[in-house]
Amino acid sequence: MTDDSHDGDPTGRPDASDENRTRADRNATATDIASGRTRNSSAARSRPDRLRPETDGGRVTDRPEDRGAIFEEDGDRELDRGPFQQWVANSISNPERTYRAMFYVATIFFLFTTLFPFYWLLMVALTPEGRQQDIVLTPNGFNPGAFVEVFQVIPFHWYVFNSFVIATASTIIVLVIASLAGYAFGRLEFPGKIPLMLLVLVISFFPPAAFFIPLNDLFNTQFAVLEPITGDGSLYNTPGAMVLPLSAIFMPLAIFILTTFYAQIPDGLEDAARVEGTTRLGALFRVIIPLSAPGVATAGVLTFIAVYNEFFFSFLMTDGQPENWAPILEGILGYQGQYEVMYHLMAAASIIGVIPVAILVIVAQEKIVSGLTAGALKE
Amino acid sequence: MARVRLENITKRYGDVVAVDDVSLEIEDGEFVTFVGPSGCGKSTTMETVAGLTRPSEGRVYIGDDEVTDLAPKDRGVAMVFQNIALFPHMDVFENISFGLRLRTYDDEEINRRVEGAADIVQLEGMLDRMPDELSGGQRQRVAIARAIVRNPDVFLMDEPLANLDAKLRVHMRTELQRLHRELGTTVIYVTHDQAEAMTMSDRIAVLDEGGLQQIAPPLTCYNEPANLFVAGFIGSPSMNFADAKLVAGGVETDHFVVELDHRNVPGASVGDAVTLGVRPEDVHLATGAESIAHPTDAIGARTDVLEPMGDEIFVYLVLGDGDARSMEEDPATASDQLLMSVTPETELREEQSVEVVLDRSNVHLFDATTGEALVHGITDLDSSGREPGTTSTEADS
Repeated sequence: MTDDSHDGDPTGRPDASDENRTRADRNATATDIASGRTRNSSAARSRPDRLRPETDGGRVTDRPEDRGAIFEEDGDRELDRGPFQQWVANSISNPERTYRAMFYVATIFFLFTTLFPFYWLLMVALTPEGRQQDIVLTPNGFNPGAFVEVFQVIPFHWYVFNSFVIATASTIIVLVIASLAGYAFGRLEFPGKIPLMLLVLVISFFPPAAFFIPLNDLFNTQFAVLEPITGDGSLYNTPGAMVLPLSAIFMPLAIFILTTFYAQIPDGLEDAARVEGTTRLGALFRVIIPLSAPGVATAGVLTFIAVYNEFFFSFLMTDGQPENWAPILEGILGYQGQYEVMYHLMAAASIIGVIPVAILVIVAQEKIVSGLTAGALKE
Repeated sequence: MARVRLENITKRYGDVVAVDDVSLEIEDGEFVTFVGPSGCGKSTTMETVAGLTRPSEGRVYIGDDEVTDLAPKDRGVAMVFQNIALFPHMDVFENISFGLRLRTYDDEEINRRVEGAADIVQLEGMLDRMPDELSGGQRQRVAIARAIVRNPDVFLMDEPLANLDAKLRVHMRTELQRLHRELGTTVIYVTHDQAEAMTMSDRIAVLDEGGLQQIAPPLTCYNEPANLFVAGFIGSPSMNFADAKLVAGGVETDHFVVELDHRNVPGASVGDAVTLGVRPEDVHLATGAESIAHPTDAIGARTDVLEPMGDEIFVYLVLGDGDARSMEEDPATASDQLLMSVTPETELREEQSVEVVLDRSNVHLFDATTGEALVHGITDLDSSGREPGTTSTEADS
């Protein structure tokens, strides 16, 4: 509407820059007069004169003028704009730049929030013992020996190994069982399928702590059958005490991921495999799982990381000794003595503990990518 | 190589009967096509042979063994699927050798057989390609090679050409025929395309609504259809049908009468409602009808639409005054319309009054209520009451 009022008036456009506010005021009056809008009454004419400079310093009149300038491609006007307005105008006419800028802002933000804690850990680890106060952005001193010391103070590698074994075992159990469940839920029709899936979902809603007391009781009970395996017949202080509950807790998520993936494999491929000579199970392992590699990798990595990071059961299901399958968590807490806490070693141990997972994710990522490119399910 | 026998196969999905009491026997080395419209149960029938579907009732035999409860892998069958179903994560060699590698063959034997199979389907030099690098026809060949490499007793092909373009389809059709001739394996072929069924098969099994309508050599299905469904399904364009009534000395429709001795129509008596069927190529212009041995009396008609096909012209005829014609009705079943096929030299215009005759030796009569065929060809009047050429094949099936 404002464009209408200024159209017949090429000379009346005010300057865009902020230092010309007074001139803008004058121009605004002139514009209004020229546009004929103020012919209605003298009161109408005087009101903008009086009000505009007071309320917003003439910008009200500037903006519509600028927009007009953009769309009319008035080359001279470009030179008169302030840097911010020019940037806005550029963004409107060239939105790609804005999106790219937003992408970088978001990326840098997320990278910062993710990587800064690692940076901070590294600073703490590199700072010699007893000087942890007052670390700003650089370490107080330089002590890379902490990364060696962590293995000398306690057998930290043993804890890492324990955690790795527990996480790997849980992941294998979860993938095998969830694959069978995913096959049944994703590819078969049977009565009670939906209620069963809902049951799995409901179980995943239970807080893990709710299971702890009965499980702890159970794992401390001695069973004669287990004696040849665990010595005293109880699961406490064995990897089983962590693998069993953690596998169960992270199973529903894997089942749902794999169900979705397996359901998408065309029936014809499974039929072809079965006619060619596999059983249903053979078709699952030879055709369906390889073609669902991205889903299997996703479920596997999520399970591995979740079990590796798990605190509650890992902390309570062993007595904290590495020979009793205490996981990495107990190792890190092991640097905490009664009279001193060796923060630099805890930080170094934390960084070392991340390495296996980091390697796994990098490897799995390659698998995911290769699975996607080799898949090519065009049916 | 083996015979295949289906005994009273029925397959139900809940309340839906997909296959309804189908029994048939396929000879060793025979090429049998299951044909029918979508949802007629032809694919399900084949899947019971493959073992992918367990029949609700009935038994399946391959060779002399009952295989009803055997897993697909133990039946000695190989299958080519409509969607081709190559394993996308394996190259051509791995795809073809998949079945062999699951059994205990040594590497040398596998290589020899894969190369032999690739040779037959002309895939030399492509064994290391991935399926997504192949064209549609090449993929189909890989699927066929995968099927033949195991020397199966029975080949099952479920619309293998349906996803190919028209030109390639005709090409692959001849290749499949050649392959069948070379290998001599029993083939069961499923298609909804009656042209494929007619050209490739030793025998055609026509199915509709889960039931077997007729199993016979292609030309028998064409010339002596067992019932109205087969008559309408086999042949393109479809046979003309007209509601008619059996009267003394003839069959009477709304617009014309075909003379015949009603005593030669078994299973029907005077006054019964029948359906008269005649194929478009058995409708002739009265002016050129001298060559026809058993023409009917001339029938007055008006041409409606001409469809020049190149080698012939399809002429849509409107019988009687033609005003009552409704556009919605299928010309094949509308009693006052007739589709005629004439040679391209025939000079005809649209909206022209013509006189046509039917070739009585190729007129079919069907029971109007059951749809079963009564008579194929009416020539009895020409030899003083005797019926020389009447092929009164009352189809038992």
